[in-house]
Amino acid sequence: MKINESFVEKILTEFIKDELYKFNYKKGILGLSGGLDSTVCAFLAAKALKPTNVTALILPYGKSFSKDVEDAQEIAQLLRLKSKTIDISPMVDAYFSKYPTQSRIEKGNKMARERMSILYDFSSREKALILGTSNKTELLLGYGTIHGDMACAINPLGDMYKTQIKQIAQHLGVPDKIMKKKPSAGLWTGQTDEKELGLTYDEIDKILFQLVDKRMPKKVITASGFKKEAVEKIIRLIKNSEFKRKLPPIPKISSRTVGHDFLYPYDWDR
Amino acid sequence: MKVALAQISPYLGNLRKNLDLHFQSIEKAKKKKAELLIFPELSLTGYTLMDMVDEVSLEPGKNPIFKELKAASREISLVVGFVEEMEKGLFYNSAAFLSKGKILHIHRKVFLPTFGMFDEARFYAQGKNFHTFPTPFGKAGMMICRDFLSYGASYLLFAGGAEIIIVISAAPGRGTALEESYETSRMWEIMGETISRFSTVFLIYCNRVGFEDGKHFAGGSFIFNPAGEMIARAAYVDKDFLFYEINLDEVREIRRKWPYKRDDKPEIILEALKRIVREYED
Repeated sequence: MKINESFVEKILTEFIKDELYKFNYKKGILGLSGGLDSTVCAFLAAKALKPTNVTALILPYGKSFSKDVEDAQEIAQLLRLKSKTIDISPMVDAYFSKYPTQSRIEKGNKMARERMSILYDFSSREKALILGTSNKTELLLGYGTIHGDMACAINPLGDMYKTQIKQIAQHLGVPDKIMKKKPSAGLWTGQTDEKELGLTYDEIDKILFQLVDKRMPKKVITASGFKKEAVEKIIRLIKNSEFKRKLPPIPKISSRTVGHDFLYPYDWDR
Repeated sequence: MKVALAQISPYLGNLRKNLDLHFQSIEKAKKKKAELLIFPELSLTGYTLMDMVDEVSLEPGKNPIFKELKAASREISLVVGFVEEMEKGLFYNSAAFLSKGKILHIHRKVFLPTFGMFDEARFYAQGKNFHTFPTPFGKAGMMICRDFLSYGASYLLFAGGAEIIIVISAAPGRGTALEESYETSRMWEIMGETISRFSTVFLIYCNRVGFEDGKHFAGGSFIFNPAGEMIARAAYVDKDFLFYEINLDEVREIRRKWPYKRDDKPEIILEALKRIVREYED
């Protein structure tokens, strides 16, 4: 599962440059949370583009996660990115005052989509393409908000497991305090990915690597020492989240249908 | 013979822009007095064409783009990759060898990868042959990308008397564990070394670079001599222009030392293959 960090850095920075150039963009924009993934993405964007061509939006809900907000602002400064902090609580509170909920997940998802909405608005204002920050582990487990933090124009980190993100973060010189943070979706205070998933990223990534990259059958993976319940849970999470990785199905009634047999590349005529 | 390899990144689905790209390399190669300039697979169109295949297809006999390329080939021989419409509605992933204002040969890709990230048999008709053909530099044979990973294909060019095997490619890289290059680049080099050495031919592999829908073409174009030694290699992943003068007499020299060609037994292989195929059908 080990990657060659400097080669991967080169691939990802070239990819960011190339994709922006193809679509006639000079600038990139991303949401910076103070966590590892968005920090790594910011480092790569700053290397790929001029720092002045990267906008980091820091989008806290009121005073929550204030430590992460400070860290994000520090990263933006360190990399000399253009940055802006926008409190999303007025918009989110306005909605929930009319339609209250006790569900932490509903609140968290709404916040994630509020951030998405602001990112897309600024993408248009600044003529900047949105760089996604979802890693391969999250994408496979569906551990993200559809049309929320999963929404982006290009996703440089999407083929790297969380443990590989750590590896490249070290190589890029991401500050220690960010490296040491417990990964969190940040939907509520005290939430950590590993607590919620009931497995460590180390275990998850090893199992995913066997299942996805090596295409090993479940039996072989459990025989090699992984807990059966853990493997089954991961398979279940992957299956149940396929809808987050696809465009919605369209019932086919014509001879040529979007999503079925109208087949063109993303980089069409680029 | 002075040979040049244009390790370019074509535009996806834009013939005009790609023709300009070709002429930039042609000018560069002419300045260096290259006699043969090789472009990658689908160099005139880009690779991930999908439903664009028919929209960018060309009939070399009556196409203005080919007219321009043929004219250019009066000064420098060219190998280009393109989508060919041969019979109405049949589209091939093809390679053309142009020289002295004429098309000397067209190879149509036989092994169309259709697995994992590849979907070629869905969009292309399958070529049916591996020919060798005379060129101003000696007898040559061509393959396109995946063709080269089937060693039977190389054997046919060897048995057909090739002195130069030209492989044009659009090979995306995969695997980043090892060095500052993709693991799959090593795979092509192993084949290059093996085929050049045991066929005692010059092996020229021209791959492309750039991204298409996140696929990253790995570059690393190379030339092996008939002794199986890598004599030139372009940058991995980056755009490059590889120029090298090869001495075709080396084919003769090495074949005196290693008489694989003299000792080849195509008639035994043919009979054995016939028997094997017959048994498949039983």
